[in-house]
Amino acid sequence: MMRSAVSWFERLGRTRQILAIAGAAALVVLLAAAAWLVGVPGAMDFADGRKVALADYPGADPTGVPAALAGAGLVERGEYLARAADCVVCHTGPGGVPYAGGFAFTLPFGTIYSTNITPDEETGIGQYTDAQFLAAVQRGVGRHGEGLYPAMPYTSYGYMTDADILAIKAYLLTLEPVRAPSPEARLAFPFNQRWLMHVWSAMFAPHKGFMPNAEKSAEWNRGAYLAEALAHCGECHTPRNLVFAIDNRAKFKGAVAAGWRAYNITQDRKTGIGDWSEADLLSYLSTGHAPGRGTASGPMGEAIDESFSLLAPEDRRALVAYVRSVPAKSSALPASLAPAAPASHRLGAETADALGKTLFEGACVSCHAWTGEGTLSPLATLTGARAVNDPSAINVVQAIVSGDHRAAAGGIISMPAFGGAYSDTEIAALANYVTARFGAAPSRVTEKDVASLRRQAGG
Amino acid sequence: MQDTFRLRINGEVHAVTVPPDMPLLWVLRDVIGLTGTKFGCGIAQCGACTVHVDGRPVRSCLLPTSAVGEQAVTTIEGIGETKEGARVQMAWLALEVIQCGYCQSGQIMSAAALLAQTPAPDDADIDAAMAGNICRCGTYLRIRAAIKLAASGDAA
Repeated sequence: MMRSAVSWFERLGRTRQILAIAGAAALVVLLAAAAWLVGVPGAMDFADGRKVALADYPGADPTGVPAALAGAGLVERGEYLARAADCVVCHTGPGGVPYAGGFAFTLPFGTIYSTNITPDEETGIGQYTDAQFLAAVQRGVGRHGEGLYPAMPYTSYGYMTDADILAIKAYLLTLEPVRAPSPEARLAFPFNQRWLMHVWSAMFAPHKGFMPNAEKSAEWNRGAYLAEALAHCGECHTPRNLVFAIDNRAKFKGAVAAGWRAYNITQDRKTGIGDWSEADLLSYLSTGHAPGRGTASGPMGEAIDESFSLLAPEDRRALVAYVRSVPAKSSALPASLAPAAPASHRLGAETADALGKTLFEGACVSCHAWTGEGTLSPLATLTGARAVNDPSAINVVQAIVSGDHRAAAGGIISMPAFGGAYSDTEIAALANYVTARFGAAPSRVTEKDVASLRRQAGG
Repeated sequence: MQDTFRLRINGEVHAVTVPPDMPLLWVLRDVIGLTGTKFGCGIAQCGACTVHVDGRPVRSCLLPTSAVGEQAVTTIEGIGETKEGARVQMAWLALEVIQCGYCQSGQIMSAAALLAQTPAPDDADIDAAMAGNICRCGTYLRIRAAIKLAASGDAA
């Protein structure tokens, strides 16, 4: 065999020999790349220990609802699980009826829309059988066999048990049916070829179900189920690879999703949350704020309002225990956060563009002060917030555009949305001033960046 | 849910029973009856509701009553008792700053806080302290001149 292959090769001309070698090399590289992409570890593979089938796990069942709801009816359990899975945030359009869909995902290659999951017979899930609903949630297969795009986080929901998904379905079926057809997706070729999603799902979202780790505590396993199957943290906080699959080699290292930066939530002490105490994390998940750590806004703010703040306290503790077990990975962010800025407007970092300071002194200083320490509420404190210490200023821009609205211990604290009042040029100048004054390194955001960020956030 | 708060306002203690998240502005105007402080935008963007909390200028429309605690509150009714406040008021009269007057309680409170921090402010200092106080009549030039007059001490 070997001899004939060699003689076959020798009989080729010089040019063809080179082409054959190049072709073979390209094939090897492609296969290696494919193996690298397909061989991405599972969401919980970072943890040592033996994985067992759910039925074989000796501790308390990590799936389902917390103890207080164990005796509750199917619909009530489904409501809790739907909140924990945070369905409502994506399945509600701007100003629309909850769960009626129409929320736009603006991607580099087009726009797709969330679907109506109220029980309407024609435009909602009224006609879904249990098997069809499970296929959509766990495997990304629509009722007519069409492949769903992974904006629907079935990579994560695939870890949910059938019982939990059907409880969610039972809850959704109690909602008022709303007739609301989803707008047609507008995607460029080849992304508009939905059949390709079946290939994608088979490679990157194999539905394996949740396997508890026999060597971890019941709390850790409950936290894993909450974080991976329900809350789907990794969909935003873990970077995606070339083919948009979640790259768990960089698990929770941070990524940009929907025009907002989801920060590093690994145990890295400098660029992650390694130096956050358990109390800090519990406070952040229940109120959207931890003292000296900034305040949640954007998609994380929504996740807190619609999901984390409504969970049972023991579920939040389990989530925190699990997230704190994810190994440290450092990000390309400043390793130390800037201290409070000087009290005088004259001192502190300046930017070349005077417009930023003019805007800050007119619209921002009355709440955020020249120091960055909130005058009305600790929630308005910029000092120590990761967003102002991020030289991309992505979340600073988005917070200026869309504002924030948080229920704090002392009442509601609101920041107005300035996106309608200020031009992209003004917002860029303001964001650059804010990062220069309150952050570890100044941003250089342009008018074009702001326009792009607005689009990515669906604005 | 209501709580009782003992607020120190202009040197007097007022016990009020209100929801903890009620903005201080509402307590001042509707509960205690100190109506000199005005409601403007309600989102801390115009400055009409400015009061002092421990000497700092604060927008009372968004300040939850529960966040005040033991801190001393000074309103437009009490600012004349302070050195800077008295000077600002005299300068305001000397230059006839006011037109319609709606924003002027807030302007005077911000100006008095500025002079307490920066006794001889220049234009940049005035901008930095006063830009968040909007005047729809456009009395900004007279406000600027009056702050400088108050700083000079010549108005009294």
